[in-house]
Amino acid sequence: MSQTVLRAPAEVKYADELARLADQSKGQKPHSWRLSPQMVRSFIIGDKKLGIDQKWFGDASTVERAIVTLASDRGLLLIGDPGTGKSWLAELLAAAISGNSTYVVQGTAGTTEDQIKYSWNIAMVIAAGQSPQSLIPSPIMTAMQHGAMGRFEELTRCPSDVQDALISIMSEKYIAIPELKTETTAFAMPGFNIIATANSRDRGVNDLSSALKRRFNFVHIPVVTNKKQEHEIVMFRTQELLARQQITVEVPPALLDLLLQTFSDLREASAAASSDDARLESALSTAEQIGVLEDALLHATYFGEQKLSPYTLANSLVGTLVRRLPEDSTVINKFWHTVVAERSKKDAAAWKDFMAGGQDAIKGLKH
Amino acid sequence: MFEQLRQQLDEAASAFTEDAAALGSLLTTMAADVQRAMDEPLEIFPVAHHSPASALHMVRLLQTRQPKAIYIELCEDMREVLVNLNHCKLPVALQAFAAKSPLIPVEELPVSVVAPLTESSAEYQAIAYCLQHPETALVFVDRAVDYVFQWREADLAPDATSEEETDIPSEDAGLHGKAIGIQSGGVEPTFDEFVHFLLKNSNTRHFAEWWDQYVERTIIGADFATYKQVMVLVGSLIRHLGRLPHDTEVDRLRERYMWTRIKQHLSANQIAPQDAIYICGAAHAASDVAEFGTHTDAIWDDLPPTSETEWLFGVIPSSFMAIEYQFSHPAGTVSIAEATWQKSMKAANLAPFTLGKTPSKRKNALPVNAVTNNHALSDFLTQAPAFASADVEQLLGWCANIVALARRNGYLASTADSIAIYETAILLAHLRNRAHPSSYDFIDAAITCLEKDRTPKRRNIAQLCRAMLGGDRIGTVGYESLPPLAQNIYDRLAPMGVDLFARTNQRALMDFTKAPHLRDCSELLWRLNYLLGDAVVQPIMGERQLGQPSIQESWEVRIGKHQGAVIQLGYEGITLEQVLEQRMHQRAHAPDATAAVALYTAEASLLYLDSPRLTRSFGEHATHLLSQETGASSAPDIFNRARRLIHYYRTTPAGLPDWLKQFVAVGYTHYASLLPQAMTDPGTSAAEIAGMLGFIFTLETLALSLGCSREQIIISVQQAAQEPIPPDKIGLQWVAEWLLGLRTVESMRGALASVMDNPLSLTALPDYLNGFILSLTFAPQVATFVVEVMSSVFANVPDATLIPWLPGLVLQLRAHKAILPPLIKEAAKLFPATLSGFSQWQPAWLQDEAETAADEAIPGGEELQTIRALLDSAPETLNRLAALVVT
Repeated sequence: MSQTVLRAPAEVKYADELARLADQSKGQKPHSWRLSPQMVRSFIIGDKKLGIDQKWFGDASTVERAIVTLASDRGLLLIGDPGTGKSWLAELLAAAISGNSTYVVQGTAGTTEDQIKYSWNIAMVIAAGQSPQSLIPSPIMTAMQHGAMGRFEELTRCPSDVQDALISIMSEKYIAIPELKTETTAFAMPGFNIIATANSRDRGVNDLSSALKRRFNFVHIPVVTNKKQEHEIVMFRTQELLARQQITVEVPPALLDLLLQTFSDLREASAAASSDDARLESALSTAEQIGVLEDALLHATYFGEQKLSPYTLANSLVGTLVRRLPEDSTVINKFWHTVVAERSKKDAAAWKDFMAGGQDAIKGLKH
Repeated sequence: MFEQLRQQLDEAASAFTEDAAALGSLLTTMAADVQRAMDEPLEIFPVAHHSPASALHMVRLLQTRQPKAIYIELCEDMREVLVNLNHCKLPVALQAFAAKSPLIPVEELPVSVVAPLTESSAEYQAIAYCLQHPETALVFVDRAVDYVFQWREADLAPDATSEEETDIPSEDAGLHGKAIGIQSGGVEPTFDEFVHFLLKNSNTRHFAEWWDQYVERTIIGADFATYKQVMVLVGSLIRHLGRLPHDTEVDRLRERYMWTRIKQHLSANQIAPQDAIYICGAAHAASDVAEFGTHTDAIWDDLPPTSETEWLFGVIPSSFMAIEYQFSHPAGTVSIAEATWQKSMKAANLAPFTLGKTPSKRKNALPVNAVTNNHALSDFLTQAPAFASADVEQLLGWCANIVALARRNGYLASTADSIAIYETAILLAHLRNRAHPSSYDFIDAAITCLEKDRTPKRRNIAQLCRAMLGGDRIGTVGYESLPPLAQNIYDRLAPMGVDLFARTNQRALMDFTKAPHLRDCSELLWRLNYLLGDAVVQPIMGERQLGQPSIQESWEVRIGKHQGAVIQLGYEGITLEQVLEQRMHQRAHAPDATAAVALYTAEASLLYLDSPRLTRSFGEHATHLLSQETGASSAPDIFNRARRLIHYYRTTPAGLPDWLKQFVAVGYTHYASLLPQAMTDPGTSAAEIAGMLGFIFTLETLALSLGCSREQIIISVQQAAQEPIPPDKIGLQWVAEWLLGLRTVESMRGALASVMDNPLSLTALPDYLNGFILSLTFAPQVATFVVEVMSSVFANVPDATLIPWLPGLVLQLRAHKAILPPLIKEAAKLFPATLSGFSQWQPAWLQDEAETAADEAIPGGEELQTIRALLDSAPETLNRLAALVVT
């Protein structure tokens, strides 16, 4: 499937690396893990000696804590602001440990217990009654049966009673199926664990019960504020996205610095703002920067001169970040004419072009 | 002796790199550095800051041999403050302070330099030893404080930390203020790429963790020779690869300085190099300067001159957190080092050198491995450090304790968590290629297992771990080490009987009727409060006001906790009063000082210093400033303060001082001449004009008696009336005119009635009212009229317009507490007191009007009526008479 799908899961995309690491994996492996913990770590944060690229950028100890948690009896809950790379880390972990990152349940306000445990093929039930053949296992249940990693995205979006369906799965490690006469219990195979993600902005909407909390180890993923690291992340992700779109436009390093600087200024302004109205709605995460850059690159490819210009970048930035009218446009207008204007006075021509692009985009918003 | 090492390093070089020659030469240099340091007859003792291993080996070394001199890498001029270190509780910091310096830009002044000392440091152990054994000379050999500034890079801006969090994590971390930190044994690499490489390959996060994991643990149990070799080797590595060129340059200057001082001291005192110890950072032990070593006579003989800066030296309290913050160590480093030091001292059965106690007899110390192990260094490079079974016990203890601590701090934690933490710590250690979990692994494991989405109480798991592993410790400076000013404060506060060294809040209760001698303490506390604010001493009961001596006072005294602030005062003067006078003078004569500030200082000098000379000088300065002011922004403040001062002085036998009389006269003329402009100037608020008018009318009698002329204010008010005045100031203008006899109540009443009748001007009515309300501050007699106006507003303005005004009106009245009593008194007089009274009640002003109307109807009474009737009866005659009169 590798060449035809829009986005291949990590285990397909990095199949070569995983195979190489599996060959090298000498250390002791917990349960049915495909790689030893050290190799999982290398797979995620890279290892020059083994020729493995870094795929997730952040504190190495965060990854180590996540790996160790998965080797233990507890589930892993990655918690952080939107766009900090929680889901990406979860996917990489699942791909490295069990070679399959697709056992995913997406948590929403409408998620039901059936989607976590199992449901029935109604037609078959009517025809032949409840039987193992008419049972539709959920991704989590499938992961249990295969001894693999089950993923639960946006856990805190689900209502609390649905979340609690996980309690018995995580402590007893089986799902009871009372409807069946035989095989009334689906047991988890060794190696099964759950990687959940939760958005820290959703805190207080559907709080986890204490019982569930103590079955999860929480690993906080901070927003990246280190410019160097952010630079690496943006480059890595953008190149990946561009390769997928088969775009060959170059990103000049000066422009990337300009984008990072603007975001860092925006974060500073946002932190100093006194009310929500004086802040952009966007979390100003690294993912947001990637979005801006991708948008600008697409624009430059299809409507521009096949070259990324500061003007286009500013246009995309304003277009991506302004979501609420008029609040966001007011904020960005003020920001543009204070901070960016100040920089364009001092710095190179790129900033001037950038300034003009933003101004035009803001003018466009007002009409 | 190091052939094997060289060979081993060469092999490593060819195995790990393609360019074996370059690496090989580096490794050879490192081996040569070790050889050179070992061959030097002067005992070079390489240390790392806050390294328990260094301290432990220092203790061992000093217990086996008694040197004649110990040279330490600390600023030479700080040596003088050590004399009184006996009475301090560590950690403390040696401090150098300068208020003026040609080396430092004015905006950075005053500057202070701190060198913190903790018990678990080799330098402190050496200091303690020397203070107990006076026969051993203790010499600080590093550059004088002056050179710290001379040699620093011109653009040494705080930018380096801009990407990091710059908030001070807690109050204790800010103990050093904005001081510049220096430390002995700094081995920290400053070259980012190197640090990054080092940390990435060792699975550690900070240099401190790397050091603990890869150097500290190995050498703490080793013999001295191994210790020394390893330290020099690591120091050499960092020196050659890890330091930025500028830092190495400064390091070289310092090394030249240190060796020069050492050689000078050795030859001056006829000490053989073998009889001395030189304590320096590991990187300095691998120095390449020409002065290095006692085998050469090279010294730095053309030392640059010091600047004219006058440096003052002292000791201030420090804390582990302050040290970590100062030197950007990760939180907990010093606590962990302290804990390791204590554990290792116990394990080695050694007693540390401590000051203030008699030298303790050495316990049955384990015999030190006197035979030098020639392969020790090679072993260090190839083998993991062994861990003791005590470490497992320790880890188990931590796991149980942290869960208990977390539970006490509101976390849902149970024994299951202890097990999980233990398991996680072991797994983490394996993942990081360690034989046994380090304290850093343990902290990570505890955070992973216990930290959920929120912190239930004040402290999170990381903080709890640090508290458990040792926690912060805050030092205290002993009485003998305090500067004279602080000693004086301690002496003078002694009668209160509170513990001034305690780090907790101390409550002092003073009843002056029973204990009049405590009044002096109270005076001092008020002065301290003025200088340092409520943080250090805070009055809970009792006020300081002119002419109101208090009978009882109660104070919260936190001098022990904020000892640093009190010590800092000591750099400014010898007594508190002197500092107070200086500060007041600076404040009143600052370039941006206003008349209000100068007058405030005059009042403060009266309250806190009781020096008529000083008060007069501030008062005269205030008069001078007032005459030069062009605005009236501080008029209300000046008015209130001047009135208060006048009231106070009138009660004293001497009466008003000349400066105050002068101030009132100048103020009267000044405000009178400013008035016309202020009335029309939109930048001057109504409240400020009320302040001006208050000054003029309230202090008028006094001003007139001093030779001012009333004509001036009359002319000013008339001039003001010629320009259009905004509605919120009209009330003030009219009341001023009324007070001067230029306007009648009727005219004001009429004008306001026309405002109320006209729907277009009605919206401005609250502004009009505002002016009248403000005028009550200086013309209480207008209260009757204000009550009348407000009553008629309530009677005539429709509710739909009136109700939205009400909140604003209430707020307006609340802002002026002083005007409410006359207003309420007046209202009570005008309105009936009972409900039944309302039926026949008619407002007084309406009665006035009725009477006037009646008077107009029958002017002159009955006699005139008759005459009028007579005239009316003969109109013809009357008309003729009138025609005659007109012609």
